[in-house]
Amino acid sequence: MTAKKSLGIDTEELASCVSCGLCLPHCPTFRVTGEEWASPRGRISAMRQVQDHGLAVDESFLASMDSCVQCRGCEPACPSGVPFGSMMEATQAELARRRRVDWRQWGFWVLGHRWLLNLLSRSLAVVQRLRLVPSKRLGLPKIPLVQERLRATGNDVWLFTGCVMDAWQRSTHASVKRVVESAGAGVALPGPGAACCGALSLHAGLEDHAHALAARTMKALEGSAPILVDSAGCGAVLKEYGKHMGTPEAVAFSERVMDVHEWLAAQADQLPSVGERRRDVTVAVHDPCHLRHVQRAHQPVADVLSRYATVVTLDDEGLCCGAGGAYAAMQPELAASIRDRKLEAINRSGADIVASANPGCTIHLANAGVVVRHPLEIVDEVIDYDG
Amino acid sequence: MKFRKADPLMRDLRRVLPSDRVRVAPLERSIMGRDASIFEGGRAGPVCFPISTEEVQGCVDAARRHGRAVVPRGAGTGLAGGAVPLEEPVVVVATKMNRLLSVDAEQRVAWVQPGMINLDLSRALAPFGLHFAPDPSSQQVCSLGGNVGTNAGGPHCLALGVTSAHVLAAEVVLMSGESVVLGDAGGWTPGLDLRGAYVGSEGMLGVTTAIAVRLTRNPPAVETLLLAFDSVDAAAQTVSAVIADGIVPAAIEMMDKNIIWAVENFVGAGFPTDAAAVVIVEVDGLPGGVAAEADRVAELAVERGGSVRRATDDEERALIWKGRKSAFGAIAQIKPNYYLHDTVVPRTRLAEVMNQVYEIVDEHDLQVMNVFHAGDGNLHPLLLYDGREPGIMDRVHAAGSAIIEASLAVGGVLSGEHGIGIEKRDFMPLMFSEADLDAQARLRRAFDPEEMANPGKVLPTGASCADVKALDNIPEGVWG
Amino acid sequence: MAVVGGRTQWEIGGQCPEETRLVRAPAGVRAFDPADMTIRVGAGTPVEELDAALAEAGQRANLPVLPGATVGGVLAVGRDDLHALGRGRLRDARLEVVYVGDDGRLVTAGGPTVKNVSGFDLCRLLAGSLGTLGLLGEVILRTWPRPAAQQWLAGPCDPVELRRSMYWPSSILWDGEITWVHLEGHESDVKSEAELARSLGCEPTDGPPSLPAYRVSTGALEVGQPTGSYLVQIGTGMAYVSEPRPIPDADPAVVALHQRLKSEFDPRGRLNPGRDPLAG
Repeated sequence: MTAKKSLGIDTEELASCVSCGLCLPHCPTFRVTGEEWASPRGRISAMRQVQDHGLAVDESFLASMDSCVQCRGCEPACPSGVPFGSMMEATQAELARRRRVDWRQWGFWVLGHRWLLNLLSRSLAVVQRLRLVPSKRLGLPKIPLVQERLRATGNDVWLFTGCVMDAWQRSTHASVKRVVESAGAGVALPGPGAACCGALSLHAGLEDHAHALAARTMKALEGSAPILVDSAGCGAVLKEYGKHMGTPEAVAFSERVMDVHEWLAAQADQLPSVGERRRDVTVAVHDPCHLRHVQRAHQPVADVLSRYATVVTLDDEGLCCGAGGAYAAMQPELAASIRDRKLEAINRSGADIVASANPGCTIHLANAGVVVRHPLEIVDEVIDYDG
Repeated sequence: MKFRKADPLMRDLRRVLPSDRVRVAPLERSIMGRDASIFEGGRAGPVCFPISTEEVQGCVDAARRHGRAVVPRGAGTGLAGGAVPLEEPVVVVATKMNRLLSVDAEQRVAWVQPGMINLDLSRALAPFGLHFAPDPSSQQVCSLGGNVGTNAGGPHCLALGVTSAHVLAAEVVLMSGESVVLGDAGGWTPGLDLRGAYVGSEGMLGVTTAIAVRLTRNPPAVETLLLAFDSVDAAAQTVSAVIADGIVPAAIEMMDKNIIWAVENFVGAGFPTDAAAVVIVEVDGLPGGVAAEADRVAELAVERGGSVRRATDDEERALIWKGRKSAFGAIAQIKPNYYLHDTVVPRTRLAEVMNQVYEIVDEHDLQVMNVFHAGDGNLHPLLLYDGREPGIMDRVHAAGSAIIEASLAVGGVLSGEHGIGIEKRDFMPLMFSEADLDAQARLRRAFDPEEMANPGKVLPTGASCADVKALDNIPEGVWG
Repeated sequence: MAVVGGRTQWEIGGQCPEETRLVRAPAGVRAFDPADMTIRVGAGTPVEELDAALAEAGQRANLPVLPGATVGGVLAVGRDDLHALGRGRLRDARLEVVYVGDDGRLVTAGGPTVKNVSGFDLCRLLAGSLGTLGLLGEVILRTWPRPAAQQWLAGPCDPVELRRSMYWPSSILWDGEITWVHLEGHESDVKSEAELARSLGCEPTDGPPSLPAYRVSTGALEVGQPTGSYLVQIGTGMAYVSEPRPIPDADPAVVALHQRLKSEFDPRGRLNPGRDPLAG
């Protein structure tokens, strides 16, 4: 065990940054502010000031930490392999303990209870239709009043359905399920136990709550079948259960988790033909951070999608769009500035629509007027299921 | 010290900049206390983020009125400690001045703001078939203002020269608060080459607020060769032979065994892991000359026992360069810390000095990797260490000094592209006489008589009296 | 005190008073290792002698080879060669200079290697200083391979169009009607680029036209009524005119910097009195 100090960051991890600055251009908040405190190098330096040199946790420290989208775009860019995400999670956990009462924990508690989330979502949908909430300003998508019901078709693979996505974008799950089934697999659906992966709680530093959600999720997805995930943020956390929980069960669980595109790319020869319906549209693939930087599995999305449509890559090297789970709601100004950069890249690409494999990105970009679909929704529309 | 709102300096700075662009929180000042060098413990005073020349003038004026030094800062990727603030100066950060102001593709000139990132400029120029030639390994993050400050180099500066040859003019705020354009972006002006004196002055003559850069046409033909050798000697001799043969390639880069292994493990660029050294040679220009020179380079390598791989397409070329440019990234696999040196030796003495470097490192019981601009004779030995090992820094510094001395002994110089900063300030007397250093101090005083621009850098103690105060007060730990 | 070289450009920047003591810099090649592609010479060495020594090794330095001029002279005057477009500026030709300062001490600036950022760049400051900051004694120059082939062409074509079409001409000159272009490099490249130039209306010619006497900024040609002939050195910002034109007033801040440099480097005004780089 290495010694733990005031922020509870692993000393070895904290010592691993050599301040070279190569992370700076890959950090969305540094890109839009140009300020060191809003960069990974600056944040690590701030963590050191507090943990190693006893500087007080003040407003400027909180601003530095809370402005981080936790996109982890800095990690692949780092020559020294600094585990920034892990250091930020530790810091957020310590800050959450110090804040004691955090309203966010009530919000995230709802996510773990599917019935309550559905009830609240349905209410929200009604209120939206009565135009009682300023959805655009709050960054909310239009929530469906009635959701189609998903039915299991076998036990070859699990489809993880999650919380917000299931409540607000279930039609995406339906598309994903059809595409997976078309490759010849029967899809199992988890019960209410696997209601939330715990990602948002973890990023907010609410470790205990996150671990409780993880335990329930693991229990609900038993057996040895691959667990397919169509939300990049959820997939990233599910793949890290092993690291976070540290138990052999959690490690074994995480090994079963795959982004659905990874699984599909591996079954490429099983996928149905394009038929006559290959759409004459150009799709720009927006790589969600948690797919590209954390799972490092963004390539399969383009591989699968390019069988069915013309795919262009954005020229911004996977810079974050600013969604960041609850980030867009917590830091609306920074999130919007970050999104502006992404919109410029989308405009430069000349694409008709944007594909994103993460619900948070989809909502955030759609709020700026971009047509965004899940990659497999696009595939679902084009596949010749009879052919 | 604390900077309160009522502090007269703060009051003046806030007259110039909105309060969210003057930062004084202890944390924000402390994280501005270092750059990418190994020097820690610098301490910034108020940190200013101007967005215009007028605002920079205002910051400099305010600092002068209150007798405070000014330290200009770009992306903070300098390796010699040039941007490390001593004595709580006003730090003027260029990162919010990052726009491309104009491009004249016909005249091949662009005006840029100093905070623009080097690679962003070349990306913006791609549609014109032009680029900015200096390409430091940190080009994805380093700022053009910083490039001007250090007269930065990069692999492709062999044929085309370092930053100074690519800067036509610079708009500079002097410590008097005056803004002046040095050089001439479009025409020719009689007079001293003030622009030339300014480039590479490490922030000690003024604050850069705009730069006119010369743009280079993208070459119509490129050949990239990966040469592998059984001995470092053979590799170094091939480099010398290529130069002696009258070929000036666009780039000649060399990597030794340890770094080849680490790079292969990291990115899989297809480098031969059984080689003692590889040399990357790139020739570019018109197709006839490119083909002839590539053939000749291959011949010279084979004559010295080397094997030759020629990149067959852009993809293979990109992979070879990826291997070269990820070199520093690969080091973390071996040791957590590194100290990167930067001396230059005459190209005919390359093999000899490299052997000395290996001996020196052995004597101090350290590990070394060499990945460097061989065509210029610009050595970059990376001393690897674990900073937590007691007493290790003494050995690292001792080995570093010995490498510098060995380089100077064969007619080399202290720094090829990183600059002097704090790092090599006290080595300056090894290369320059008292009269030489006095002449440099005169240049500095002509621009900045009060010596308020980035004091404590480049010129060693005694070269200039006003610096002594800053030098005596270097906070503990600055020397890593 | 002033150093006298070949007196080929003696009047530039003003005249030294008659009582000025004239000295000569040492001459001759001090060290030349062709494999290093650098050469150390006394500043009094005639440029033609330097060029001949380098030619033996198939090399050249990027200095204008003015008959009778010395290395120190062309460096102190700082006028670029006709080929600055392709070969680079004169100010980038030097690696190290050794000069005599106002107090008689020898000062070394720069360094002997092809790449060097150790300390401030006094080397470039001395380019075009007309000896007013220090008297050049010895210099190290970077050398370049002499190209295998070269060719001048001339014709009534658009110089801008020509520059846009060619990859790396070493010189493009334009007198308002005729454009001259110089190509150098590998034989087949010179041939193919020459073809390109011919397609734009140029034909092979013996050499460049003779240069009008006075150097001005290209901007000066756009001001006022042109008198006499002129020749524009495309892509360098420089032009040559047959009738002298008034030099536009320099920015007062630039003038002040010149004055402060002079008073720092030569407080007693001993070096090359009567000369002013701003008047050059």
